[in-house]
Amino acid sequence: MKLRTMAMLGGQALRSLRKTPALTSIMVVMACMVAVSVFAVFAVNLTAIGRQLQSQVQIRVFLDQNAAAPDKEALGLSIKALPGVTKVEYVSKDEALSRLRLQMGDSGFFLVDLEHNPLPDSFDVSLAHAEDARAVAGEVWKLKGISDVIYGQKWVDNLVGALRVLWGITGAVACLALVGASLIVSNTIRLSVFARRKEIEIMKLVGATDGFILLPFVMEGLVIGIAGSFAATALVAAGYVGLVTWVKSVASFIPIIGDPIHMRLAVIGTVAFGAAAGLAGSAISVRRYLKV
Amino acid sequence: MVKMYGVTRVYAGGVQALRGVNLSIDKGEFVFVVGPSGAGKSTLLAMIYRGTVPTRGQVWVAGRNIARLRWHEVPLLRRRIGIVFQDFKLLPDRSVYDNVAFALEVIEVSRRDIAKRVPMALDMVGLAHKAQAMPDELAGGEQQRVAIARAIVNDPFIVIADEPTGNLDPDTSMDIMNLLCDINMRGTTVIMATHNQLVVDRLRRRVVQLDEGAVVRDELRGGYCGEA
Repeated sequence: MKLRTMAMLGGQALRSLRKTPALTSIMVVMACMVAVSVFAVFAVNLTAIGRQLQSQVQIRVFLDQNAAAPDKEALGLSIKALPGVTKVEYVSKDEALSRLRLQMGDSGFFLVDLEHNPLPDSFDVSLAHAEDARAVAGEVWKLKGISDVIYGQKWVDNLVGALRVLWGITGAVACLALVGASLIVSNTIRLSVFARRKEIEIMKLVGATDGFILLPFVMEGLVIGIAGSFAATALVAAGYVGLVTWVKSVASFIPIIGDPIHMRLAVIGTVAFGAAAGLAGSAISVRRYLKV
Repeated sequence: MVKMYGVTRVYAGGVQALRGVNLSIDKGEFVFVVGPSGAGKSTLLAMIYRGTVPTRGQVWVAGRNIARLRWHEVPLLRRRIGIVFQDFKLLPDRSVYDNVAFALEVIEVSRRDIAKRVPMALDMVGLAHKAQAMPDELAGGEQQRVAIARAIVNDPFIVIADEPTGNLDPDTSMDIMNLLCDINMRGTTVIMATHNQLVVDRLRRRVVQLDEGAVVRDELRGGYCGEA
């Protein structure tokens, strides 16, 4: 198709936008995209926080007090060999007590009067993925010379579950937004097809190709999708930049994502999502109402 | 040029618009298709520009079986056919010039060619002086002339006119008929469906009469009602 023709069809699409309630459609698409963006922002940031917390998840393996010293070394090697284990650190009962004293601080006064150290020797086991904690703990239990295995099981499970739910909700919102935005774009295109039905009929009769007839409507849907998502991106980005600035000044330990690469990717993703919704909407109407 | 072999068209609901039509129209002919309302005239014309396809039988136009055309070949066929309707089908928000140019723009003819061919077509139909007028500023006959200019601007080998004088008074109808005769004189085949007895009887061209979808008369220099 010639460049001049493309320009002409683009002009037709823009003229058509003025005749249909395109602004309403753009606003609705914007609202849908804002919903998706907000959920995506939450999900991405909570995932980042979750990853950071997960990296700190450890399994603590307490040893049977009766186990002899050489067994401890073999046990440590056995644990290290388990899949998903990245690091195994031996913590002697004395070291455990001094750590406890350090943790308790002033509240640990009663530890001074202990006649003997009641704490067992242990291993601190680091994992590649927090969600492997339950499986690794199960494997550790099978080894001999273990008196107890503890890890933040419930906490880890809850975190992994919560992140899954959040991503699920984000996916559902994205699907609903895609459907909603597509339907509103589709409705606008339907009106546009109706407004130009006479022109379309003549085009068909004088031998315009299907592509020539369809393209302005596809462009129209695309423009609505991109405009709506672009407006949504601007709105959410402005709010998010403010949030990042505030969080960094008030609670800098929260790992909120604020680097430009992530931001650019988010903008491109949202606009592409809006464009997809626009195209889908055009396709629905063009297929249903424009029998070429 | 146009050949129909046993063409039957049954629409949804079982309505038979055409029944076993056999017809052969040569290059340069002027053919009237007459018959009462619902006789199948418009369906017969639509077969030629592939506005519809036969349920049974074959329609050949310019050596191609129209039912076998691929989707992308249909526009190419229509570019070689000029179509005129009773209701003119002009775009009300475009000038006379733009209405005619529209037929060329949508098939991506260059601007230079459009600027050359549109005035020629308007000159042919006697409306060169009204190129910038809007359709609603024109009389019915003039609007039909614009539609004819649009139909011939791409130099078609065949012009199909479906009741082109249906909305016009007798004098204006004769003007339109003279115009179609001029186009025919230049070698373009003209196939015209009409109820207008006056023009058929006066011009004495080939007449194909349909009744309930079947050809009941095919007369070389016929009148509207036949010899009887």
